[in-house]
Amino acid sequence: MEQGEIELGAVIPQAGPNLPGPFPVGRYARRLQEEMRKRARVQLIGEVTGVGRSKVQAYFELRDSQGAVPCAIWLNDLEKAGLPEGALRDGAELVISGGPDYYPGGGQASPGFSFRATHVRLAGEGDLLARLEALRKQLRAEGLFELQKQLARPQLPRAIGVVTAESGAARRDLLAGLARRGWGGTVVWAFAPVQDRHAAPAITAAIQGLAARPEIEAIVVTRGGGSLADLWAFCDETLCRTVAMLRVPVVSAIGHERDTTLIDDVAAVACSTPTHAAEAAVPLDCGAARRDLERATASLRRVGEGAIGARARHLAALARGPARALQRERGALNQKIREIRASSERGLGERAGFQRRIATVVLARARRRGVERTAVARAAELQRGAAIELSATRALARRREALRKAAVTLRAHDPERTLERGYALAETAAGAPVTTADAARAAAAVRLRFADGRVQARIEGDVERET
Amino acid sequence: MAVERLEEIIDRLDSGQAGLRETLDLCGEGRELVNYCAAELDAVGEGLKELKLDELAARLDSSAEPSA
Repeated sequence: MEQGEIELGAVIPQAGPNLPGPFPVGRYARRLQEEMRKRARVQLIGEVTGVGRSKVQAYFELRDSQGAVPCAIWLNDLEKAGLPEGALRDGAELVISGGPDYYPGGGQASPGFSFRATHVRLAGEGDLLARLEALRKQLRAEGLFELQKQLARPQLPRAIGVVTAESGAARRDLLAGLARRGWGGTVVWAFAPVQDRHAAPAITAAIQGLAARPEIEAIVVTRGGGSLADLWAFCDETLCRTVAMLRVPVVSAIGHERDTTLIDDVAAVACSTPTHAAEAAVPLDCGAARRDLERATASLRRVGEGAIGARARHLAALARGPARALQRERGALNQKIREIRASSERGLGERAGFQRRIATVVLARARRRGVERTAVARAAELQRGAAIELSATRALARRREALRKAAVTLRAHDPERTLERGYALAETAAGAPVTTADAARAAAAVRLRFADGRVQARIEGDVERET
Repeated sequence: MAVERLEEIIDRLDSGQAGLRETLDLCGEGRELVNYCAAELDAVGEGLKELKLDELAARLDSSAEPSA
């Protein structure tokens, strides 16, 4: 080369007027072509856009979310590849083999770079899965799977947004699921294509549009079943990154299985059917909730009214308790007073007076105790329900003790004890006491009962009154 | 969440272990929760409404520019 070797790929020391050259541009273009053609032959996978044809070749772009390469294939190479009719179309996922090339242009033709494909085939499930796996790994490593799952999901949203195809079973199934929940809120539809090359950007825009509405509390993205290639739009990196970053929870139900598409990984909840998606978007079963609420209302009313009534009755019973005990003791003491009065008629007046005084004191004490007990019981009840039981038990024990003492007192007046002191009791043969002279005359024969036994006696007549 | 708290309250009241003061407080709180839940359910109880996002957006645009 007369004007020096053109160096491509070498490190250019510095921009400036002292660089090598100037070279004729045509020679430079050819040199560029040579260098390009030296590059390694590889396979590329991506989505086809912008398909066009000339007389001798087909050209298109192969792209994914990170970038694109212009491609060209000679028509005879394309024919040899044996693609199905119409397979080279916008939106198709292709695997192409070849290497970079540069067309220097010439005459009227424009120069340009392209990837020269020598073979082309439709991407298979395996290719898509491999791509999906790589993308999944990357998004997981960035923590994008967790963001949606950390969002609080409303139990009963008033409005939900739904992205789906305008015509399709998914739309109908979702509505049926919402109806089964008994939910009558607002559904905001954002219809979008769900399968061609426009799908992913349209779905992304629809989701963003819904998320921008403040009233929408949850977003459902759904479509029916299909092959991985059919569902491929829902593995779109931009779409999935958008979903991951949303502050509104997204429920996905794509295809018939969970976790096929990447959107299932980034969404707050992944469901297998639109019906399940409806249940995930409205977690509360409104019908059941209404019934529960009615039960709760009835329960609260019952407990609220019962609490006052039951406690009032309890307090009243407690207040009556000491009064009843007082009545019992008063009765017992009155009985004793009657007995004492009877003994006093037999000359034991002094003793009876003493007993009466004691009885008065005991009665007063019992009354006081009763009043105190009432006060204590009231205070204890107001403080603590459990203490009421305890205090009632104690009051009962105290009453029992008082009764025991009364029994001891009573025993002191037992006729048997009187007999021991030298008195005798006149009885009929049947054992009935003979308490008057008239009765003795009528009986004719009596038994005299002493402390140590009974003797038979006959009534002979009246004794002359001593003067 | 209101429903869970309401269930807690009912359970506590049904246990019969709450004293008078607590019972009255719980009943008061329970009634407030019931009112809240009933209002929430009423808000989604009037039948499903369907809107389209693009129509909503169009309505928003026209209301933003009343002269247009």
